[in-house]
Amino acid sequence: MSRQSTRGGDPRKVNGELFTLTYGALVSQLLKDYEDDDEVNKQLEKMGYNIGVRLIEDFLARSNTGRCNDFRETADVIAKVGFKMYLGITPVVSNWSPAGDEFSLLIENNPLTDFVELPPGHSSLCFSNLLCGVLKAALEMVRFLLYSSCSFFHLSFVCFLFHTAFVSPKFDVISLLVDFGCCLLC
Amino acid sequence: MADEVVFEYLHMEMISYLYRTAEKIEQDHCISKLESLGFRVGQSLSERFTKDSSRFKDELDTMKFICKDFWNSVYKKQVDNLRTNHQGVYVLQDNKFRFLTQISSGKQYMDAAPKYLAFPCGMIRGALSNLGINCVVTAEVSAMPACKFQIQIQRL
Amino acid sequence: MAVCVAVIAKENYPLYIKTIPTDNELKFQYTVHTSLDVVEEKISSVGKNTNDLRELYLGLLYPTEDYKVYGYVTNTKVKFVIVVESSNTSLRDNEIRGMFRKLHNGYVDMLCNPFYTPGENITSRLFDNTVLSMMQQD
Repeated sequence: MSRQSTRGGDPRKVNGELFTLTYGALVSQLLKDYEDDDEVNKQLEKMGYNIGVRLIEDFLARSNTGRCNDFRETADVIAKVGFKMYLGITPVVSNWSPAGDEFSLLIENNPLTDFVELPPGHSSLCFSNLLCGVLKAALEMVRFLLYSSCSFFHLSFVCFLFHTAFVSPKFDVISLLVDFGCCLLC
Repeated sequence: MADEVVFEYLHMEMISYLYRTAEKIEQDHCISKLESLGFRVGQSLSERFTKDSSRFKDELDTMKFICKDFWNSVYKKQVDNLRTNHQGVYVLQDNKFRFLTQISSGKQYMDAAPKYLAFPCGMIRGALSNLGINCVVTAEVSAMPACKFQIQIQRL
Repeated sequence: MAVCVAVIAKENYPLYIKTIPTDNELKFQYTVHTSLDVVEEKISSVGKNTNDLRELYLGLLYPTEDYKVYGYVTNTKVKFVIVVESSNTSLRDNEIRGMFRKLHNGYVDMLCNPFYTPGENITSRLFDNTVLSMMQQD
């Protein structure tokens, strides 16, 4: 649990507490501005989306990850390269649907929720919803790059995050579901 | 530990979110909102960073903490120069301020600097306020990415 | 173990107080209040002696017939007071230090909760648990 001082560490890394606290201050501000969990979730996702659009460029430039052949490979890259590189954690990929078009990312020790104790009455607040936006944007951009020549390309992307603060504050689940129908048709 | 790019994008998005959702007339309000977000973060950071240090002797001791430990933990370097007039004004000079290194140094970007400096100014004010020093913090940029922070102590 | 744990804001008003048993709260509030003068004295006496370590742990503030009152001050001038029974001789200085350390860590984490406004009463469940763990009889 020591995400302590970063002195003398990797110069590309920022103090984890600075990041966590800044994100927390932002969510708390949004909650004051909108006073509505759903609206806050929506804003967080939107902000995450804008971040994701830039982040995927950075990711492609830095990670040297080749093209993914299928969604399973994509899932692995998100968890083992993406999350590792940007947040220093490696979520577990699980809950694959039989069709292989849906999976969950299980995040233990989510750095965004360090220190967070949600005030009562905010059971529908998805504290880490920013991540959903980031993932949505990043995947959309990549798909777009890979399949942009396919005119039938259609992507409906559903991204859920259950913030289980009351059960166990350190455990978040993100489910990703991608509709591959049209890609397979091509 | 997060990658600096993630933090940088989060900070940028925070700024553009505030400007996106504010009315035209409320633009000044965005700066103060960013400042108050930084204030809250600074409060928490100073509480954490001083957990293992011995008690500060005086104001100057506290300022040195800001210039060395606080700066080191947040920006991975120390303040390059600290000056004071011994009458409650301190000037911290950072020749390569991390929040500005990403912005191009062209003159046309100078207008954007206040937006990027509101949050760090708030962090300094929050950290000092929590350490018992009430002050006003302003930033001044003459040549990117060098930045001067002026701290004016408010005495009761 | 501790029979009373209190957190006092830098402006000297209580942020949190927990006592065992709870009906002793009023009595301990008085004890804690009285101890603050000793805390202030200890804090302001530093500096005169340059060899002072300026530790956060202030040590024994004062003993009464039944209790021993210990103090601790953070760099942000928040004070912690722990009261133990005088009859409890198993508690050495090191154990008291350890309790303050734990309390301090808990306080820092609590303050870092973005939904907490500094200066408000402490209602955090996690912090409460930390304190309770220091008060349980074993």
